[in-house]
Amino acid sequence: MATINVHTEAGQDNIAPSKQSLPPPKSVDSQSVLRRLQSELMALMMGGDSGISAFPEEDNILCWKGTITGSKETVFEGTEYKLSLSFPNEYPFKAPKVKFDTTCFHPNVDLHGNICLDILQDKWSSAYDVRTILLSIQSLLGEPNISSPLNPQAAQLWSNQEEYRKMVEKYKSPAA
Amino acid sequence: MDDSHSSLFNLGILDTLTQDELHEILDSYNAFCNATQSLLGGAGDLSYGAQFVSHVHTLCKHGLESLVRDHFLRVLEETFERNGASRFWRHFVPYADFVDLNKNDDINIDEDEIESVLYNALEEISLEKQYQEKCLLILVHALQSFKDQMSEEKHDFEAERNYLTSKYQWIVSSVLMATLPRVFPVILHWYFKRRLEELSTIMDGEFTDDVSQNKDGMDLDEKGKICNEDGEMDVDECYSNRRFSENSRLVKNIGKVVLDLRSLGFTSMAEDAYASAIFLLLKAKVYNVAGDDFRSSILQSIQSWIQAVPLQFLHALLVYLGDSVSYESTSSGLKSPLAPQPSSFCPGIDTPSESLVRWKLRLEYFAYETLQDLRIAKLFEIIVDYPDSSPAIEDLKLCLEYTGQHSKLVESFISALRYRLLTAGASTNDILHQYVSTIKALRTIDPAGVFLEAVGEPIRDYLRGRRDTIKCIVTMLTDGTGGSSSASGNPGDSLLEELNRDEEIQENFGIDDDFNTDDRQAWINATRWQPDPVEADPLKGSRNQRKVDILGMIVGIIGSKDQLVHEYRTMLAEKLLNKSDYDIDSEIRTLELLKIHFGESSLQKCEIMLNDLIGSKRVNTNIKATISQPSQSSVEVEDNAISMDKIAATIISSNFWPPIQDEPLNLPEHVDQLLSDYAKRFSEIKTPRKLQWKKSLGTVKLELQFEDRVVEFTVAPVLASIIMKFQDQTSWTSKNLAAAIGIPVDVLNKRINFWISKGIISESPGGDSPDHVYTIMENMGETSKNGGGNGIPQDLLGGDEEEDGSVASVENQLLKEMTVYEKFILGMLTNFGNMALDRIHNTLKMFCVADPPYDKSLQQLQSFLSGLVSEEKLELRDGVYFLKK
Repeated sequence: MATINVHTEAGQDNIAPSKQSLPPPKSVDSQSVLRRLQSELMALMMGGDSGISAFPEEDNILCWKGTITGSKETVFEGTEYKLSLSFPNEYPFKAPKVKFDTTCFHPNVDLHGNICLDILQDKWSSAYDVRTILLSIQSLLGEPNISSPLNPQAAQLWSNQEEYRKMVEKYKSPAA
Repeated sequence: MDDSHSSLFNLGILDTLTQDELHEILDSYNAFCNATQSLLGGAGDLSYGAQFVSHVHTLCKHGLESLVRDHFLRVLEETFERNGASRFWRHFVPYADFVDLNKNDDINIDEDEIESVLYNALEEISLEKQYQEKCLLILVHALQSFKDQMSEEKHDFEAERNYLTSKYQWIVSSVLMATLPRVFPVILHWYFKRRLEELSTIMDGEFTDDVSQNKDGMDLDEKGKICNEDGEMDVDECYSNRRFSENSRLVKNIGKVVLDLRSLGFTSMAEDAYASAIFLLLKAKVYNVAGDDFRSSILQSIQSWIQAVPLQFLHALLVYLGDSVSYESTSSGLKSPLAPQPSSFCPGIDTPSESLVRWKLRLEYFAYETLQDLRIAKLFEIIVDYPDSSPAIEDLKLCLEYTGQHSKLVESFISALRYRLLTAGASTNDILHQYVSTIKALRTIDPAGVFLEAVGEPIRDYLRGRRDTIKCIVTMLTDGTGGSSSASGNPGDSLLEELNRDEEIQENFGIDDDFNTDDRQAWINATRWQPDPVEADPLKGSRNQRKVDILGMIVGIIGSKDQLVHEYRTMLAEKLLNKSDYDIDSEIRTLELLKIHFGESSLQKCEIMLNDLIGSKRVNTNIKATISQPSQSSVEVEDNAISMDKIAATIISSNFWPPIQDEPLNLPEHVDQLLSDYAKRFSEIKTPRKLQWKKSLGTVKLELQFEDRVVEFTVAPVLASIIMKFQDQTSWTSKNLAAAIGIPVDVLNKRINFWISKGIISESPGGDSPDHVYTIMENMGETSKNGGGNGIPQDLLGGDEEEDGSVASVENQLLKEMTVYEKFILGMLTNFGNMALDRIHNTLKMFCVADPPYDKSLQQLQSFLSGLVSEEKLELRDGVYFLKK
């Protein structure tokens, strides 16, 4: 109930300023990106999805830090991964760049943290938002795409879940 | 020094002295020494006088005058030290322990004993001194007679005598001072205190006698005289004489002690002692009179008391001393510069002496100050029962005018407020009530509002941090009776009153303005101008802007009137929606008053709301008029016939009303039918418009008929729907009932408690399912049979009804706001690990741009965060916040 309320409110929020303010055409882009990201932040904060979170860095709303925890009943259970998201000025018409900050031993993530995920590349649509991105990555953890691995070692090991779990534990940062 | 000087001087002459002369000098010097010794040592025996004189003459003849003088004085000093001082102090040795003890309490002191010891000691030493003075006089005479013999011309006898006596006085007081034991001032102080107390009980008795006589007696003149005495110093002679004669013994005793002490050089110590005794007495009196009763003014009576007791005493004492001083000045002429000047006071003449006036001023100032301190310390209590305690406030005002210690008031009151009012335990209503009383009370003390500004600040700051402040203020503004919880007194009335008063003031202002065009009036205003008190902060604007305006100050708490208006609108909506008739006269009046204060435009929406009600009344009548004649048949008239004229609709223009909480609800079919008929009529009359029912709002009047009784209720529609379901079926499981009514089960279970508590429905656990089964109780017998558990739900109900609010309350909105912040804070901490307060604050400011945007202060955020810490959601380490894992 509460969630729904908030969503509608956020929606109104989106509409209200656009009605009243007619900003000069040049700044339209950055203005709308700003507004879009703000409302996404609000939705994300109020949404209460467990295991995913993200927040803009102090002075730049285009750079976010994200956090994902591994889903239950996967080898990633109990782990926590930091990500960084950087949004282009053309967002939401261009996909944001998403990287793992913590090392993630995963078939579709390389050692530099780059992620191979279709919706972040060719399948991007403006209908996606931070929340869906994070949820996709979270589910990607448990259901890797073995066919096109960025980390072949991980892909090979995936079949042996027990060994894989050990690898994950090894990479798991002590702080997390 | 003198010795060496004279010997040097005499060196030249030494040669000229013959052997005989030398012998003569030696002999007579020895004899002189012996004579001196025996003269001074011999108690009261002056028989050596003649011999002594001749030796002095012989020595003087040889020019050894100074030697004679010095030796005599030295022996005098030794003798006094031995005989006078040490013996004098020996009297007080047994009491040496009282030095410390006496300050706290004087329980185990034999009072009379000390007193008699003091008397004896003083007498003894005075005798000794008198004797020595006599001896001194013999010397003076001897010297004088020698001079007279030597030369015929008349020598200044006085000069010689004055010189020696003053020298002697000096010796006496320095010897005494040098050997002064610590206990002596204490004893003196104690003595005067005791004497004064004695005196004051006598005088006080008379005084109250007088007053009471005057009060119930016919002698108004006398009474007027007492009052006069406060202002002027003319002590009525016979009045004082009568008293004086009665107390003369006592006063004389005291006077004698003072006099003795004075002659011993204890002038200032004696004065200190009786002054402090008087002040102590005065203080005790003030405390006694003032007490904790704030309902009467006591300044007047204290003043009369000062006039009657201590001033009378001082008057008498000064008269007595004045007598003796004038005597003393002819006999000794010594006077300490520290002593007051009673000699200027002529006994018998009743013009007040300068010193008496000074005493009066000192005493009054002290009384004012004591009373002021007392009242300031209790200011909090005084303000708590303000309208009753206004005499105390008036007293305080006078005191402050006299002493000018306003800043003391501000400091002390603020700390009292912090300690006693601005705590989590005090209800907002009480704080507001106290604030209003404070404003009113301080307005009396300080019309310019300077101190109010200082005192009000912490209250306002604190209230801003409270969430229900606005709600309480609005409640107070609109009506006092509806105020929540434990409002002591009815603060609401006072604010509503204020609102009315404000209206009057505004009316008066109009007149004032007209007058102001008049030059004469302008001149009068100009002459009435008073400067701001020194404590005024020049930054806070001039006095005109600081006009003490309670409503303004209250609104100042909130910061803007918009929030207040918003809250008012919410409350108004709630109230209007729960009205079953269209009687809104009082609301209209309140609104009009508010409009005067806050301006028309800001209350426009509220006006529309009221107009909606007026419109509804009209529409309602219209609809009923069209319906009543033609088609009763269109509405199925069933056994439980409800005709349309039982319905009264409140038609609201939802754009202008605050958001309304609409819960889905299935009304009983025929009621629903009725409502849609009504809606149809409405759209017929107001063609383009359509009626949308908010079915969960409003009230329903019900009459429940049972086998053995009829009960009437006025309840919310949900409750009515629930009970009506039991018409067809006497028993329902909660699940089915909830489905039938269209509300969630948990809501149903909560709501139905109302009926359970009324003993109309009983609850029993369902046999096979977790459902509860509700059954209607047809008669009272059944109720009482199952009634064992009825007591408890009854209690639970009280809280439940509160939740019936039809409009989202401002409080809930605030709560929602805070949840938003909480989620944001948790979100940012998840992603950044740890953050300092500043960073959280800045981040919220930057990104939390929801409706309403983040507008809290750093302090508010901090307290909110510490709340989260105590809820164990966060952790604070080294000034950095973490998520609690």
